Amino acid sequence: MSIGGSDLDQAILQLRACRPIPESQVRELCYKARELLIEEGNVVGVDAPVTICGDIHGQFHDLMELFRVGGDVPDTNYLFMGDFVDRGFYSLESFLLLLCLKVRYPDRITLIRGNHESRQITTVYGFYDECLRKYGSANVWRYCCEVFDYLALGALVSGAATTLEPSDAPFADLNSQASMPGLDQEIEIETLNASGEVMFRFARNSEQSSSAAEPSQNPSSSPLPTPARTGAPGTGASSSSYGSMGSSTGAVLCVHGGLSPLIDTIDKIRLLDRKQEVPHEGAMCDLLWSDPDEIDGWGLSPRGAGFLFGADIVKCFNYKNDLSLIARAHQLVMEGFKEMFDSTIVTVWSAPNYCYRCGNVAAILELGEDGGNGGFVSRANGDVNRAQVLGEKVQGREGPGRRYRVFDAAPQDSRGMPAKKPVADYFL
Amino acid sequence: MSSIAKAFAKSKLASLPPESPLYEEEDDSSSASSMSSTGTVRPTSSQRPAPVVSWSDYYAQELYLEHQSADGNAKFHVYLTPPASFKAPLLVLHHGAGSSAMSFALCALEIRKMYPEAGILAVEARDHGSVVYGPTGDVNNDLSIHVLSRDMIDMLELTAAKMGWPELPTIVLIGHSLGGAVVTDAAKQGYLGNKLLGYAVLDVVEGSAMEALKHMQAYLGTRPKMFPSLEAAIEWHIRSRTLRNPQSARASVPSLLFQTPSGSWAWRTDLSSTEAYWENWFGGMSSKFLTAKGAKLLLLAGTDRLDKELTIGQMQGKFQLQVFPAAGHFLQEDLPEKTAEAIVEFVKRNDRSTLILPPKVGDLLKQGKKV
Repeated sequence: MSIGGSDLDQAILQLRACRPIPESQVRELCYKARELLIEEGNVVGVDAPVTICGDIHGQFHDLMELFRVGGDVPDTNYLFMGDFVDRGFYSLESFLLLLCLKVRYPDRITLIRGNHESRQITTVYGFYDECLRKYGSANVWRYCCEVFDYLALGALVSGAATTLEPSDAPFADLNSQASMPGLDQEIEIETLNASGEVMFRFARNSEQSSSAAEPSQNPSSSPLPTPARTGAPGTGASSSSYGSMGSSTGAVLCVHGGLSPLIDTIDKIRLLDRKQEVPHEGAMCDLLWSDPDEIDGWGLSPRGAGFLFGADIVKCFNYKNDLSLIARAHQLVMEGFKEMFDSTIVTVWSAPNYCYRCGNVAAILELGEDGGNGGFVSRANGDVNRAQVLGEKVQGREGPGRRYRVFDAAPQDSRGMPAKKPVADYFL
Repeated sequence: MSSIAKAFAKSKLASLPPESPLYEEEDDSSSASSMSSTGTVRPTSSQRPAPVVSWSDYYAQELYLEHQSADGNAKFHVYLTPPASFKAPLLVLHHGAGSSAMSFALCALEIRKMYPEAGILAVEARDHGSVVYGPTGDVNNDLSIHVLSRDMIDMLELTAAKMGWPELPTIVLIGHSLGGAVVTDAAKQGYLGNKLLGYAVLDVVEGSAMEALKHMQAYLGTRPKMFPSLEAAIEWHIRSRTLRNPQSARASVPSLLFQTPSGSWAWRTDLSSTEAYWENWFGGMSSKFLTAKGAKLLLLAGTDRLDKELTIGQMQGKFQLQVFPAAGHFLQEDLPEKTAEAIVEFVKRNDRSTLILPPKVGDLLKQGKKV
C-alpha cells in the first residue's frame, strides 16, 4: 500500500491520537522520508520565521502541548534539533508523527539528528524495546534507524529579524509591566508563558530586566489556551513585521550538541559523509554530543563523547562564519532555555518534566522574519575572507530578536502509561 | 573480648587465608598467626589438591596489612597487581556488601589484558576480608560510610608504604554496589587530592537503592543460610541467577563463605545485621557523586534506574553513563570483559598525562596566528 495524500493525512490523524500506524505504513513512510532527506544537505537552509525546538524524548503529550503553544504544522514553520526518541513512553508515536509531518509538509518542518537517533543508543534507552513491545518485532525500529542515518546534522536559519515585534499580549503580571522596557524601545528578547502572556521583555543593549513570576491577576487573561494574538506564532501573522527597523542579522546555526575541534567552518560540516550510524568520535560525533561550558578553549566532555567548548571558541566560530547565534539542545535546562557567552549560544530544551520526574519546564524559540529588506536574504556564511587576525575581543553580529515560549508538561494520561517497573532484587 | 565477638573473630580468622578453605583446621592459632605475618602469601599447593580457583590466577600478590592506631589495630586484606611504572594508573576496586575482592577477579584480569601497564588493588572491607579491632581488642564492625571510605584510603596508603612507592600513582576508584557508595564518599572527602583521576560506580543509584532497602530483609530471607559444600554454594548462585557467569562464581563464591565446625558453609558476612547502616551507605550518594572532583562513570545493569538527581545530571552531561542490559547486579562478574572495556576506555580517555586538547583561541592570538 502506498502512503501519500489522504493516506498520509489519515496516518497523521491516527498518530495525533497517539495510536501507532501499521507496520506496512511505517515502512512506506520511512521509505518516503528517506527519499526526501537524501536530497537535503548536511546543513539544511531554513528561512525565518521559524520556531526552534530542542529534545522531545518520546514525551508525546508534551509534543502536543508544544504544538498547542507554538502553533500547528503547517501554520508554524518548525525546526526540531533531534532527540525525538528514548526515555519517554511514546518515542514511536512522537517520531512517526514528526516524520509524517515532514513528508506531508517538507518545507514547513525540519528535523535534524540528535545523539539518540542512533542504533546503539536506542537499544539501551527505550526506543528499541518500545518498538518490540508495540509491534512484536524489531522491523519498525530498523526502518526508523535507517531514517536516522539520513537526518541532516544541522540547519542554518537566515533572514531572521534583529528586532522583535512585541507581542500584542497581556502581561502575566500586570505589576511588572511598569518595569519592562517601553514599546518605543527595540525589543531583543521576550519570554511568554504557555497562555501567551508576557513574562519578561528585554530591550536591546539594556542590562535592565524585569520579571513576572506571579501568575496573572488580570481577569481578562484567561488561563485557557486562548492567546491574544491574531495568527499562529512563529509566522508573520503574530510577529507582524511591518517594516522592521533592525539591520539584518547573521545566520543562526542549529545543531543538536555543539561545535567540534575538527570543524572551523560550516562548509566543513557540509563535507562530512553523514549517512551512517553516529560514530564514537570525530566531527559528526562531536556535533551531536558536545556541550558549551564555562571554560577557556576545549575540554574533555564528562559524557565520554564529544567535547566541552568555551566562550572563545563560540565567539570565534560565529565571527568566522558570520553567525549571530548558535541554537542547540542536548542539555536539560530547568528553565527551558539558557543563553550563554553574551547570547552567542542558546540551549533550547523542549521536554517538560523530563523523564516524568525532573520537574523542569520546556521552551521553544521563535525567530521572526526580517521584513526590513524586502525579503532579500543575505546568505553569507562560511566566507573564508572574513578570517583575519582578530583583536582581543571578537565582535560578533547582533543577535536576532528572540521570543521564547515556556510551557509545562501536559497532564499525563495515566491509561497509556506502562506499569511501574518492579523494584529490582537489589543487593547491597 | 566477649564470647560472641571471640567466636565471630574466630570464624573470620578461620576463613583466612582464603585460598584453601577446604582444609580449614579446627585450631585457629596457626591461621591467626599467619594472618599477622605481612607480606606476599603464595599458595603452597604441593601437597594439597588445587582449590576451586586460586586468587593467584587473577592477582599478582595477596597482602595482609597491619595498621595500628590509637583506635585499635586493623588487619586489612587486599590483592595487588602493581602498576608497571610510576606513570601508570592504579585502579582501586571496592566490592559490595557481603561480597569480596574476588568478585573483581575476572574483571581485573580483563583490565590487565587490555591495559597491561595499569595496576590493580582490590581491597576488602572490615567485616568482610579485613578485621578491625577496637582499643579493647573487640572486633569493631562499624560499617559507617565514612569509616569504610577511610579504611579504603588506609589500605591504599599501607600498600604504597609496603611496596616502597615514593608517591601514590594516579588513582581511579571503582566500586560495586556498597563499594560504589564507598568510592563516591572517598572522592567527595577529597582524600586523594589531585592523585584522583576519576571514579566509577557499578550498579548502584541512591534513589533505587533506598527504595529497594525495604525489601532487602525479605530478599535476604530467601537466601539459604548454609551450604553443604562450596560446589552447592556456587550452584545456588548460578541457579538463582545471582551470578550469571559460572567461571566468575567459581572464583568469587568460595571467598564469601567460611566453614562451620559442622563442616557446612555459612556466609562470612551477616548482611541482615548490617541493616542499621544501609541508609547511611546510600543516603546523599547521588549528590556526592555529582559534586566530587574527578571524572565520573556510572555503569548500570539491566535497565537505567537513575533517580531524579542523576537523571538531571546525566542530561546535563555531568557524567558518563553506560548500561549493560544483559547483565545482572554483579555486572563485573557477569560481563567481566565488557566491564573492563568500559573501565579501561574511561581511564585512558581521562588520563591527563596523555591528553592533548586543541589550542585555545587566546593562545593562538598570542602567537599571532589567524583564528
